Amino acid sequence: MRLDSLLDHFRGRAVTIPPMDGALRPNTALDDSAAELLEVAAPDNLVSGGGQVFYSTGSDLLRLPAYGEGGPAAVARFDAPVSTLACSADGTIAIGLDDGRILLKGGAVDGQTLAPAAFGGLACPTALAFADAGTLLVCQGSSAHRPSDWVVDLMSKNASGSVWRVDLAAGRASRLAGDLAFPYGVLANAPGGGVVVAESWRHRLVRILPEGGVEPLLTKLPGYPARLAAGADGGAWLCLFAPRNRLIEFVLEEDAYRADMMREVERAHWIAPALSSGAAFLEPLQCGGVKTMGIHKPWSPSRSYGLLVRLDRTLRPVASFHSRANGRRHGITSAIEQDRRVLVTSKGGNAILGLSVMP
Amino acid sequence: MQKVTKAYHGAPAIKDIDFDLRPGEIHALLGENGAGKSTLTKIMAGVVESTAGRMLHRGQPVRFATPSQALQAGIAMVFQETSLVPSMTVAQNLYLGSESFLNRLRGIYISAQQFLQSLNFPVDPTATVATLGTAKRQMVEIARAVKHNAEVMIFDEPTSSLTPEEKRHFFALMRRLKQRGVSIVFISHALEEALAHSDRITILRDGEHVVTNDTSTFDRDTVIRAMVGRSLSTEIYKARRTTNQLRQRGEKVLSVQDISMGNLVRNNSFSIYDGQITGVFGLIGSGRTETFKIVSGIYKRDFLRGGDVELRGRPVRYRVPAPAVKDGIVYVTEDRKTEGFFETMSIAENLYSGLLAAGLDKATFVSRREMRTLSAEWSGKLNIRAITDNAKVIELSGGNQQKVVIGKGLVQKPRIVIFDEPTRGVDVGAIAEIHHFINALADDGLAVVVISSYLPEIMNLSDRILVCRQGRIVEELSPDDATEEKIMYAAVH
Repeated sequence: MRLDSLLDHFRGRAVTIPPMDGALRPNTALDDSAAELLEVAAPDNLVSGGGQVFYSTGSDLLRLPAYGEGGPAAVARFDAPVSTLACSADGTIAIGLDDGRILLKGGAVDGQTLAPAAFGGLACPTALAFADAGTLLVCQGSSAHRPSDWVVDLMSKNASGSVWRVDLAAGRASRLAGDLAFPYGVLANAPGGGVVVAESWRHRLVRILPEGGVEPLLTKLPGYPARLAAGADGGAWLCLFAPRNRLIEFVLEEDAYRADMMREVERAHWIAPALSSGAAFLEPLQCGGVKTMGIHKPWSPSRSYGLLVRLDRTLRPVASFHSRANGRRHGITSAIEQDRRVLVTSKGGNAILGLSVMP
Repeated sequence: MQKVTKAYHGAPAIKDIDFDLRPGEIHALLGENGAGKSTLTKIMAGVVESTAGRMLHRGQPVRFATPSQALQAGIAMVFQETSLVPSMTVAQNLYLGSESFLNRLRGIYISAQQFLQSLNFPVDPTATVATLGTAKRQMVEIARAVKHNAEVMIFDEPTSSLTPEEKRHFFALMRRLKQRGVSIVFISHALEEALAHSDRITILRDGEHVVTNDTSTFDRDTVIRAMVGRSLSTEIYKARRTTNQLRQRGEKVLSVQDISMGNLVRNNSFSIYDGQITGVFGLIGSGRTETFKIVSGIYKRDFLRGGDVELRGRPVRYRVPAPAVKDGIVYVTEDRKTEGFFETMSIAENLYSGLLAAGLDKATFVSRREMRTLSAEWSGKLNIRAITDNAKVIELSGGNQQKVVIGKGLVQKPRIVIFDEPTRGVDVGAIAEIHHFINALADDGLAVVVISSYLPEIMNLSDRILVCRQGRIVEELSPDDATEEKIMYAAVH
């Protein structure tokens, strides 16, 4: 084995992707078992507070209708797309915008705005969470790109993300951890204590240590992790917004090719993860992702996928819900558990879904 | 054949057997392993001589001292384990024994090509036999028998290593031979094949004749009852298990990520868990055997970008099997005669060699006492039946040979056991015993992998099913919602 570690420098490390098996065994639960609660364009950022559930679509913040109500109720419209939301127990809503601002609505801090300057320049709010009523945790995905430019950040192999703690009363922000590869989800009071962050480009969950730095908790995920949400049983829910596949991993290793692709090819057609795929023939044909004899094979490697993972109290996967290559409900970006069911946004599938949860 | 008896070391393998074969009939010979089927057919083909009784060929008493004498009389046998010369080409093997004084290689190749094509066998006549897979070797073996224009052909487990498509070709060939008046004796453990393709069935049990009758008078259960004296079909291939009956996975013991080996294994990824039986299904050539041979150090993965294998989170890369065995990975081969045992050594010596390979022997020198103790222990556990204690493994029936191979692996105290076609060429009685033993290993918490081409076996044994196609795992199914159609769909599409 010592010889291998030496030889690997010369022969190149293998491009390996962890298999989806065990608790991550593929199924069609998101397509077959999940109820479509609402058809809406690119929904994202499900949060709950004060007995209500909110979500965003584009620049709009909306309230999800309760059972028996009519349609969703508009709460607010902003001058930039909403990139992330958080809601405290008392109903204060924090809204992260694509231009870097974080707005606060309701509660004692109503109307307050956290400017990008507080986070050291261009800010990229990708995830927010209230640690308590007066403390907000902010994930800055990147110091170089906006949230909507996530694919550029990935293809640039950036690792300039950070996590901040903001004292809302004092308006002071302190950095908890830096050099993260696109932190895209945060759990404030995580199982086992502390703050847990989904580090997307490194395909892992990490715990932020009190003395600074991070401790890996769950590594080698087969996709790109997004938002985290607390589970009623003390565990958590993890969304993975896109799958890893060998072609993309290969492109990520080939710097010259990637640079040419980014310079010359339209972004929608890059060989890169996507929230949905298959709509345009100009998309790169991904290995076996093409149809043969009219059948799209569910095990085809694809650019987009739907995956929601249930984690136990030790943050180990115990179950998963999939929409496979031939499914429709891809690009799972956020989830919350409420009343023995999980609400899920399929940003790629333009739907908010409801899944029954066994205790 | 009248009152034929054959004894080894004084113990009869078959006793007073009467058997007749009519012109142009397909006669299935069935029985458990050790029932005496192979012995009976070997006497017909001149491989062994009977101790008592007589054989009549076209009404004339005959006694063959060698297979070539039998062949001259028009009786050819296709063996369960192929008897080809591995270092020679397919064409050379076809013409072996019937070469002219001066041979022109090109002429042999052309004629072999035409002959193989006429049989619908897609085998390259210029390929060296050693490079062929089991199925293609079997095809060459069959072609060689047909080539000799035999009027009696004996097939010993001819379809055990063929794909469904190849089996269709084989049975079509058998029907064509029948139309030409060739009589066929056909040994098979796939009872459906015997019931579907034979005209008459003879069943042997414990070296004795039980029954001979027209196939139309039999069904699966009556055949099994006659073979084993009890109905095993419900025991072996019992009803589908529910989710609650499946074993829960334990710790992830083996993680394989994107391993590659030439064109045979391509970016294959999967995990294996403690306390579960992971069934691996795939058609021949799907890379399932090669994948697990890489895991157990028999084959080497690609030097460049060959993927990762992690054993309990620790990266491993075995160049030979010994370190894999020391790490608790044991591979029980599908090709027992070539890779599974030392055929001229006794059961005890074979089992002890497994211990030596793992470095688990207690004494500095070979200890006969330890060997005997080990043999007694594992013969008991696995119910290995031999005529004498010192019987060579080659003298055992296929099922007992397979048990020796399994025992040889298990004495190494493995944590991961990989069974490759564990019941190929094994009778129904031994299948039940081997299945019971495999289940017991998983119940004891071991990680067990069963590679099989037989769907009922995969569906009944496995707690999870991986389907392999073109060198990689393409699908994972749970036995409670898997159907034969779903598995086959993933394996062929």
